[in-house]
Amino acid sequence: MQAYLYFAIALLAAPLFPGFILKTKAFFGGKKGPPLLIKYYTVAKLLRKGSVYSTSTTLLFKLGPVISLAAALMALTFLPLAGQPAILSFEGDVILVLYLLGLGRFFTITAAMDTASPFEGMGAAREAYFPILCEATLFMVLILLYLLTGKLSLSAHFAGSTPLDLWNTAAAPLLFTVLALFVVMLTEGSRVPVDDPATHLELTMIHEVMVLDHSGPDLALIELGSFLKLLFYAALIAPLACPVQLAHPAATAGVFLGALALIYVVIGITESVMARLRMDRVPMFILTSFALAFFAAIISLEFVA
Amino acid sequence: MNHLFAALGIILAGGVLPLLMGRRLTAIRTTGALGIATGSLLGLIHAVTLLGTGGTHSASYRYLHTFNLAFRLDGLAAFFLVAIFTICLLAALYSFHYMDDPDRPGRTAAHYLLFALLTVSMALVVTANNMLAFAFAWEIMSLSSFFLVLYHYEEEANRRAGLLYLIFSQVGAMFLFAAFGVAFAHTGSFSFEALRALPENTKLLVFCLAFVGLGSKAGVFPLHFWLPHAHPAAPSHVSAVMSGVMIKVGLYGILRLYLLLGYQGRAPGYILLVSGILSGLVGVVYALGQDDLKRLLAYSSVENVGIILIGFGLGMIGVATGQPAMAALGFTGALLHVLNHALFKSLLFMGAGMVLHTTHSTRIDQLGGLLKRMKITGTTFVLGTLAIAGLPPLNGFVSEFLVYLGSFRGLTGGRTVMLLSLLAIISLAVIGGLAIACFTRVVGVAFQGEPRSDAAANAQESGVSMMLPMVLLAGGCLFIGVYPDFIIRLAHNAVVSVGLPQTVSTLKHTLALANQITRGAALFFGLVALLWLLRTLLYRAKTVTRAGTWGCGFTQPTTKMQYTGSSYADDILHFFKSIVPKRVDHPPIEGRFPSATRYHSEINDLAERQVEPLILRPVHWIFEKLRWIQHGDIHLYIGYILLTIVVLLFFV
Repeated sequence: MQAYLYFAIALLAAPLFPGFILKTKAFFGGKKGPPLLIKYYTVAKLLRKGSVYSTSTTLLFKLGPVISLAAALMALTFLPLAGQPAILSFEGDVILVLYLLGLGRFFTITAAMDTASPFEGMGAAREAYFPILCEATLFMVLILLYLLTGKLSLSAHFAGSTPLDLWNTAAAPLLFTVLALFVVMLTEGSRVPVDDPATHLELTMIHEVMVLDHSGPDLALIELGSFLKLLFYAALIAPLACPVQLAHPAATAGVFLGALALIYVVIGITESVMARLRMDRVPMFILTSFALAFFAAIISLEFVA
Repeated sequence: MNHLFAALGIILAGGVLPLLMGRRLTAIRTTGALGIATGSLLGLIHAVTLLGTGGTHSASYRYLHTFNLAFRLDGLAAFFLVAIFTICLLAALYSFHYMDDPDRPGRTAAHYLLFALLTVSMALVVTANNMLAFAFAWEIMSLSSFFLVLYHYEEEANRRAGLLYLIFSQVGAMFLFAAFGVAFAHTGSFSFEALRALPENTKLLVFCLAFVGLGSKAGVFPLHFWLPHAHPAAPSHVSAVMSGVMIKVGLYGILRLYLLLGYQGRAPGYILLVSGILSGLVGVVYALGQDDLKRLLAYSSVENVGIILIGFGLGMIGVATGQPAMAALGFTGALLHVLNHALFKSLLFMGAGMVLHTTHSTRIDQLGGLLKRMKITGTTFVLGTLAIAGLPPLNGFVSEFLVYLGSFRGLTGGRTVMLLSLLAIISLAVIGGLAIACFTRVVGVAFQGEPRSDAAANAQESGVSMMLPMVLLAGGCLFIGVYPDFIIRLAHNAVVSVGLPQTVSTLKHTLALANQITRGAALFFGLVALLWLLRTLLYRAKTVTRAGTWGCGFTQPTTKMQYTGSSYADDILHFFKSIVPKRVDHPPIEGRFPSATRYHSEINDLAERQVEPLILRPVHWIFEKLRWIQHGDIHLYIGYILLTIVVLLFFV
């Protein structure tokens, strides 16, 4: 029951957190920044509008937003929030979640290629390229967690007292893991230094250019999907970064939300102090996270064996 | 076995009857397609019932009063027969509308005979129970497919492809016969049961020799480079059979030989795992670089053979290290992938055949907008690409999931096993991502956007007998992906029937996982339906208009402005540039008023390019040194003959 409640709260709160990023960036720029609830206003504005569809598109263009949002929702269903086991979990559910996110990516790319626009093709090609390296990092993190816990389920890794136990036994690998997951979050969530969500130049975009031709409720569904995806990755880092377990579940939930907000603020700080990487340097950036995860896995053998 | 041989007889009848039909093309196609399809259907029903009930049949015949040909139909053979007969059945149906060239009735009739021979020989290879039967059926399989590759022999590229294929299949057969020869030298018998009694080192030698031969047929890197030449050269339904089933027969041989030898060590598992990782990665990276749709699909077959070998390798390591869960997951996942790949690869080749049939081109960068013009072909092709990328809720995900779980089990083994399992997991992850990139490229460039040529703009799908198998295969992929329970039971029966260490609990465990996948898939479909309903509601009172794609204000858009397939893959190929040699022909643009220039890029297969310096040049060098023997003097040649006779008489 609690899992369903937390799921609903996460669903409703997902558009709140990107506001933290914008406020942090505004703070660094000496500005006041948009209101914290800006993303809710954006989604409401999009829902009020109609759409213009390109004559080149087919049904796949309309399916893209629906399937990417459905995939993000499925990912959230398997995600343990605030230390509670998720709504669903089974052995190997991590692989199902990662591949469902891949399915969402497939349809986003397909919807982009449907428009016959070279901008969207460019974005689609980059979107197909960088997550390949992220998958390598994520699976390396999975290998590490399997070596430490012997289990292959999100609820087994991130719920209950497991994160605290992991820190007590293998702190150094976990530090690397947090850093690696942070880099993956920046890549999959299309933040600086991989992609600048605030840029207006189509030639330099990745995610923004793929949704260039979407409008109205379609775009609202896509935005919601991207908020949920970013929340998913942040919720993977939060229990590893702040593994507290308090007596009252509401207190644990409060700490969890605070940790999430902190992670988003750190994303904002990263966006403010770093410039976007040149496109051909991004693979090295992602491979750095793979190297961190790989070393973490090797070091963890010391703690396991 | 009588049911099976009756089915094979009907298939052969379907191959011979067209020859008697003269020049009447429709009669040729009807008898051929119907005969082969009926026989395959009967064989399929028999194989499925045998797998469901368990049990084994055997038969043996004396050939020419000298050789004993023994056949045996157990669970593993029945599983591969399911794959063979399903694909041959659908390919035969497909051929009815595909082979519609009125100027070549004789060639069409010959093609049906060869197709029937191919099907029958593949069925005989998987049911062979001694070396003679295996070799006999293997050679018929290689030769019939060789002639089928040469169907369009007017084009030089096809002739060269056929010749390369012939060389590979004969050299591979030589290695296989060498393996059999070593075994015969030790046991003195052609039967497969005697292989278990070989000494351990000989077993490893036999396995390695046979692996080279069988692996080249299966398309294992680096013996794979005949595949991208031969598979596109054949007619599309034959490509479907070759890619979907014939390479699996090679994998069957490897698995069967491993089981018959009963080698206790871990070496076979290690060899298969490493070959699988290499084939998987190299196959999908090369597939990304191809402009020709059928060549791309051929390289993708190499990738999937890699995945299957990873599964087999993990299973063998599980058996050797005494981890039944790992063995169960590895073997079941790999066998399931054998069937799954047969289904979705055939689907993709049939789609490519439809594209070729109507646009007369398979070059991705010349196509575009096909999904709007060929709705059924396009939709089934998209489903096929989702399946081959291993995405839920289709069947590719289920088999990859089982292989993943098997490899995670391997992490708790010793140092080498742990390292190899780690490599396997990371490779599977990277292969999955690359497959998504490869197939979004195919769908995005060829089927979506706007047509880049008139042929693509006028594309039209036709031929019910071509579309029906595609729809059935797409439905099958979806069904197995959502409800894998039935197929997993069949795969498990196949594994049990060959005596691999299995317990009831491992089946229950695998079925429980399948159940979870089903629930997840059902939830996903429910979510999609709900969101689609939500979307319809949201759009109810809204203005929806259509307009041209935003081109940044450019007023003269052409279809050539779309992103091309080569650009799409360029970044990824650059990342892998050490294994993907790319040749670019691009005279630079010079001066302030430059004239026209051109751009041509080409991906060459690394294995193919290395054959010349590594194999051809040393062989030439050796034979150049022996050139002095061939001097043209007839008297000395007679002297050579006399010397040979003397040596043979006195010393041999």
